[in-house]
Amino acid sequence: MEFDQPMSLPPSTELRPDSRSVRAARRARAALSRASRRAVMAAAVALGATFLVSNNAVAAPAVGQQAPDFVAVDTSGAKHKLSDFAGKFVVLEWTNPGCPFVRKHYGSGNMPATQKAATDKGVVWLAINSTERAASDYLKPAALADWMKSQSAAPTAVLMDEDGMIGQAYGARTTPHIFIIDPKGTLVYAGGIDSIASARVDDIKTAVNYVNQALGEAFGNKPITAASTRPYGCSIKYKT
Amino acid sequence: MPALAQLTPAKAGAVVTTPHVRAELVAHAPDGVAPGAPVWVGLQIAHQPEWHTYWKNAGDSGLPTELSWTLPPGVAAGDIAWPVPKKIPVGNLANYGYENTVLLPVPLEVASTFKPPLALTGAGGPAELQVRLKASWLVCRKECIPEEGEFSLALPVQGSTALHKAEFDAAQAAQPAQLAAPGAIEVQGNNLQVRLEGLPAAAQGKTLAFFPETPEVIRTAAVSGKDWTQSWQGGTWTATLPLADQRSASPTAMPVVVALAEADRQPGQPIAWRAEPPVSGSWPAAAAAPAAQVSPALQAALAANAADAVKSAAASNEIAPQPMGTLLAALLGAFLGGLLLNLMPCVFPILAIKVLGFARQAGNRSAHRQAGLAYTAGVILSFLALGGAMLALRAAGAGLGWGFQLQSPAVVAVLAALFTLIGLNLVGVFEFMRTVPSSVCSAQAKHPIANDFLSGVLAVVIASPCTAPFMGASLGFAIGLPAGQALLLFAALGFGLALPYLVAGFVPAIAWLLPKPGPWMSTLRKLLAFPMFATVAWLVWVLGQQTGIDGAGTLLALLVCLSAIVWALTLRGRSRLVIATVLIGFTVVLTSAIGRNVLTTIEPAKLAGAAGSKEARWQPWSAERVAELAGDGRPVFIDFTAAWCVTCQYNKKTTLSDTELLAAFDDKKVAMLRADWTRRDPAITAALTALGRSGVPVYVLQAPGKPPVVLTEILGKDEVRAALAAL
Repeated sequence: MEFDQPMSLPPSTELRPDSRSVRAARRARAALSRASRRAVMAAAVALGATFLVSNNAVAAPAVGQQAPDFVAVDTSGAKHKLSDFAGKFVVLEWTNPGCPFVRKHYGSGNMPATQKAATDKGVVWLAINSTERAASDYLKPAALADWMKSQSAAPTAVLMDEDGMIGQAYGARTTPHIFIIDPKGTLVYAGGIDSIASARVDDIKTAVNYVNQALGEAFGNKPITAASTRPYGCSIKYKT
Repeated sequence: MPALAQLTPAKAGAVVTTPHVRAELVAHAPDGVAPGAPVWVGLQIAHQPEWHTYWKNAGDSGLPTELSWTLPPGVAAGDIAWPVPKKIPVGNLANYGYENTVLLPVPLEVASTFKPPLALTGAGGPAELQVRLKASWLVCRKECIPEEGEFSLALPVQGSTALHKAEFDAAQAAQPAQLAAPGAIEVQGNNLQVRLEGLPAAAQGKTLAFFPETPEVIRTAAVSGKDWTQSWQGGTWTATLPLADQRSASPTAMPVVVALAEADRQPGQPIAWRAEPPVSGSWPAAAAAPAAQVSPALQAALAANAADAVKSAAASNEIAPQPMGTLLAALLGAFLGGLLLNLMPCVFPILAIKVLGFARQAGNRSAHRQAGLAYTAGVILSFLALGGAMLALRAAGAGLGWGFQLQSPAVVAVLAALFTLIGLNLVGVFEFMRTVPSSVCSAQAKHPIANDFLSGVLAVVIASPCTAPFMGASLGFAIGLPAGQALLLFAALGFGLALPYLVAGFVPAIAWLLPKPGPWMSTLRKLLAFPMFATVAWLVWVLGQQTGIDGAGTLLALLVCLSAIVWALTLRGRSRLVIATVLIGFTVVLTSAIGRNVLTTIEPAKLAGAAGSKEARWQPWSAERVAELAGDGRPVFIDFTAAWCVTCQYNKKTTLSDTELLAAFDDKKVAMLRADWTRRDPAITAALTALGRSGVPVYVLQAPGKPPVVLTEILGKDEVRAALAAL
């Protein structure tokens, strides 16, 4: 009988049984090549994995782009998602009671009034605190809720963002920093609360309140004139 | 409460001290106060350690110091001559400001109408210029305190005021020198290209710090060398800086300051330069929408669907890992998918080769085990490598999905050639023995394990586009998973694929069940050549989908030439020389003449043009078309498909050709769109990702105003009918 030679065995060794030592040597060599191939593969996978280490390669949204969804817990422990409010206008207000600029707007009643005017229209107002836990003016959820109540603030919810993920996702830089999202989820306003960058309470009455103006234009189906303005205030104390 | 001046009731002094700064109103009038004489006043701020105030452009937050002067008639104050600031990074934001001590000088213009008031101390007292300043500044360390102060200073008109000469000289030295040429700024996409000319030799070649005076234009926290680049050509300095994500200023001219690094500054030499380049180019409009141009209503619903996939980038107070149950279900699904892959026509030929390998080693138990392990290792590590590569590309932002290997015609052609060669070898046209030097052959013999490992890798390369039903959801899951869990999923896939062979290797009973070597091996070997050729036929068909009939025909012709060459090389002596040379020459000529056809892809529209009226019901997919149809109030059925996807072809020929079902579609006035992913269209990739999938087929029924319904991959008629009824 004759059979064609198979693919890889040389003719001489096809039927002769291998000696123990030859077999052992072959196995050892095969194991080494297998191990070296595995090492190369592992190195390749590890190299690929290093690309994943960089956090946050995504840019913050600009006005006109889709607002990123997020999930956060408010001061009473309830969970909220931005997508829960799809179909409504949503205002995101970055806040921190330790910042004199925030106190300027709350103490004078300007921010609570703006919040109430918005929520009366059916707008969802989310106050977000991205101050890290290690900061000197970090407030625990209960303390933050108490402060909000003491200022007669009227947001729909006050969200805790201690890891700073939501703030970084939106590119929030100052407190206060305001973002307005339309019912379709597009960012339509990003910037300050009003037009005069100062810590003086007197400037509030002469400044243009950009939030009232933007919401008024949006509800009147007019394009928002000042859609991107300069936010002013203290730096948000992100977790480093 | 802002800190106020000292509570001296009569008048404010020249110094205000707060817990964070000591601010002093100082003056420099070496020639007294007279028209034409240099008169400078300024606010000197000595900060407590770690506290800082801000420059005229404070950066991402903060406020510049404001000075408001009250001067007698005839004296006017100019603008603050801001010294060069320091960039103060705060996490991944940045500010421009001053630490330690800074003097903000302001020039006073004394007009001839200035009449120094008579001193109040009576006749003979010196005449004085009363300067009053109301200053407000924001001083920050981590927290910020807005502070104010009222200052008052009396400058003798006749005498010389030069107590603070050193500080004013230092402030003067820290001024940016005005450049003669204005330079130019151009907006290019999302970057600003700045060009400054006429910089002196002392600055050339040095790394400069960049300070724009206009806020809200560039990304303040950009780091030189990492986020923005600068270069020198002689005395011209150019830089490319990224625009801010939320830019709110679009100036027509941007005054900018560039400064030497601290180490490069020489005393007595200018340390910074200023220019006011005009800005050309158009500012990017409210930035381009993301790649997936889906209608807003769909997007809102998709955002809800994809919320889980986005969760890793979203905020959460709790860590929110994937719940164990769903991960295990996904792993199980991946494992079953891997098992199922063994039956796919794209894998079966490889398995056939593996069986042949077993037959060769019948009786050698440890060899079986090693072969099984080597194959499994090859398969799993290849899946992990593919998964790792996909995850790396995902991180880099590329819109890549599963199955990219067979989207490139070059890869398809090469694979077709490879399988042709293997088929020819199996049939016996040539043997590796005679065409390859013996040293290589014996090297192969000594590493049968390596063969198994490599055939495992090959199995993965071919199998990947065949996303079987169980794999679809798992893969879409993997896109949204953290790296470790996604790689685990890929490993489970590989394990399922390799399991049959592995089990056979370990359970000796099965090995004993295999027949012993004999003449049947030769028959089997020749028989297995035909699945190889069948795979080649399939690959030629795929190439035809991508490059048209010309490409497929050219590939077939080239494969024929390849086969002829391979046979010619098995000849001996002169006939080998002559025939092989002729054939190789002919192939080269043929390739240069028509080889291009294999690589030129054809627009899908052209391919579909040949179809008859039955195909006219399917319109090509585009995000705009979907939005249009949604606006018209029509439900939309989208078929995401690709030529190399067997499940897609199966569904196309069965469920989607069923006349009753098509009539049901027409009844409900459903628009039917086909998204052809054969050539890796990035818009389709993005749409797939938005649906939580990374492979095809995907069937979506979208009713206007309702979230989209994604149907299963093996499309059943009842399922579609039920979905249509729910419209």
